[in-house]
Amino acid sequence: MMGSGVLTRHLVGLIGFAALMAVVPFFVTQRYFLGEIVLFMIWASVAIQWNVLLGHAGVFSLGQMLFFAIGAYSVGMLGVFYDVTPWLSMPVGAVVAAVAAFIIGIACLRLTMPYVALLTFAIVFMVDSLIRTDVECFMSHGGRCLPLFGGGQGFSGFDDLGFRKLLKGKWIVGNYFVVLTVLLLSLLASIVVIHGRLGLAFRALHDSRVYAAARGMNRTRFHVVAFVVTAFFTGLTGAVYAAHFRFAGPSLFEFPTLVIVMAMIVVGGLKSTWGPIVGAAAMMLLIEFAKGWGDIQNALVGTVLILFVLLLPKGLSGVISAGVEKMVKAEPSRTDQASPAKQ
Amino acid sequence: MDAIVQIIVSGVTLGAMYALASVGLALTFGTMGMFNMAHGLFMTIGAYVTYSAAAVLNLPLGIAILAGLTAGGAVGALMHLVIVRFMLDREDFRTTIMVATAGVAILLQDLILKYYGAYPFRQPAQIEGTFRIGNVAVPYQSLAILVTAAVLIGATAWLLKKTRFGLAIRATAMNQDAAKLMGVKTERTYLQVIIIAGVLAAAAGILISSMASLSPGMGTNPLIRAFVICVVAGLGSVAGAGMTALALGVMEAAIGYYFGARFGFPILLGLVILVLIFRPAGLFGKAEVIRS
Repeated sequence: MMGSGVLTRHLVGLIGFAALMAVVPFFVTQRYFLGEIVLFMIWASVAIQWNVLLGHAGVFSLGQMLFFAIGAYSVGMLGVFYDVTPWLSMPVGAVVAAVAAFIIGIACLRLTMPYVALLTFAIVFMVDSLIRTDVECFMSHGGRCLPLFGGGQGFSGFDDLGFRKLLKGKWIVGNYFVVLTVLLLSLLASIVVIHGRLGLAFRALHDSRVYAAARGMNRTRFHVVAFVVTAFFTGLTGAVYAAHFRFAGPSLFEFPTLVIVMAMIVVGGLKSTWGPIVGAAAMMLLIEFAKGWGDIQNALVGTVLILFVLLLPKGLSGVISAGVEKMVKAEPSRTDQASPAKQ
Repeated sequence: MDAIVQIIVSGVTLGAMYALASVGLALTFGTMGMFNMAHGLFMTIGAYVTYSAAAVLNLPLGIAILAGLTAGGAVGALMHLVIVRFMLDREDFRTTIMVATAGVAILLQDLILKYYGAYPFRQPAQIEGTFRIGNVAVPYQSLAILVTAAVLIGATAWLLKKTRFGLAIRATAMNQDAAKLMGVKTERTYLQVIIIAGVLAAAAGILISSMASLSPGMGTNPLIRAFVICVVAGLGSVAGAGMTALALGVMEAAIGYYFGARFGFPILLGLVILVLIFRPAGLFGKAEVIRS
């Protein structure tokens, strides 16, 4: 059976990944590339959490960027209005995101899949337009009037993580390790959820909802738990995004951003464990190359998304694990039954 | 009194546009379980093609509108033939089709942005002038919108209820396998449904752009309204979607009038979520239809 063995294997993989990412800044020194890798880690973390919901728990949430934005706005608002350092406001942002997810989850997650998707999408749209149309002054900041949620401009120029003073020219390495820590926490949480008891519950509910319910499993409760946990880490990622870029604004709600993260999950492989990381890396590389071909990013992302859904629904990690399986099968003495568990 | 007339006039106009936007969405979901994230882009394309035909090619307005409607249907057909057709048999069709159509949406929106630019063009399909009810000035355009929406939705209802073609659609919606056994070519029914949805969406787009203006992102706002309307009505309920649209249009106009326009949609959404807590399948929906 898939037991703690699988969990251990993934945790070993996590340590390997952590070690790999930790040595990168010693070889890559250009600030531009480090910045791109930081961005990759941020989106990978969002994609990891969304994949837990979408691929494993079966909750079709289109509201992930709301929780991301809640984290970012917490850092931005506390920083601009009260000069709070991001070190304090980041965990606050994560908690606020989790609380928001709890409220939305209780209201929405009793419904079936398509209803959840539409309602979460509508909620994000509502929050976006409320923030953009807000013009009431909350506090005057730097000579201009700032609404409570920053209006269409958002917040910028607040205190960062403090590495600019501490490390001078190499400040981005400090940020790099903070973001890496968040990514690793997010990955660890996803592995524990997917391969732990919660994941078992998701699989049971997926295989037979009626039987699982008959055994006393409450689908809504498991969904709300998954929703809150993933929102916590998505919010934390949003908070670290704001701390790194010193920005939080309504542009985070834009539809293309959501679709890019969606593409990362699909390209990497829905329902996998490591797929979102592979997918995030692939999409970041693609977008980076596409910069040379002119402003075609959104059209390209849309096309890639369609092609993968149509032709490679299991994504890159599906291709990789199919290849691994083939190699394992080629060997005569196969003992490990659980090779598809890699996905 | 004037306030009430004003609210009803603008509310019914809003509601008529929302109804057109949501009926197609409800129809595709009801028939094939597909939630089309690109539905808003069908509206945008209909509006832009009409604009191009009328303002750039100087074609008569009637032909321009016809061109817009055709474009909406054609994009729908193309999407079905290139993408949807190959995904129908997937186990997780409902999820993956949303992802795929989201890809279509972002692709089409980017293409429109590249071709037309972000400049907010004025839709030429407009009627000038107003008439009065009491002290309230009612634009002829509102009347035109109401009539167009009523005619198109009426035609769709007639198609669904009175023709063999509509019978095939309703049969497929009820039970895909049984319909197949009775000789309905479900594959072709799906194509027809998407074309109808595309035409209705294009009509909605033309009307909406005649009230505001053209922009590549113009489909987002009505699409969200249509989402909410379909959710309240119960997904897949076509007649329910039409009625809910009118009701929500009037409510949004009333809330906007008394509390300010920016709270119209948020309060509405709050009410919708409240409704769903007590009626999880929507107002007109049947409790959970499980499709295999």
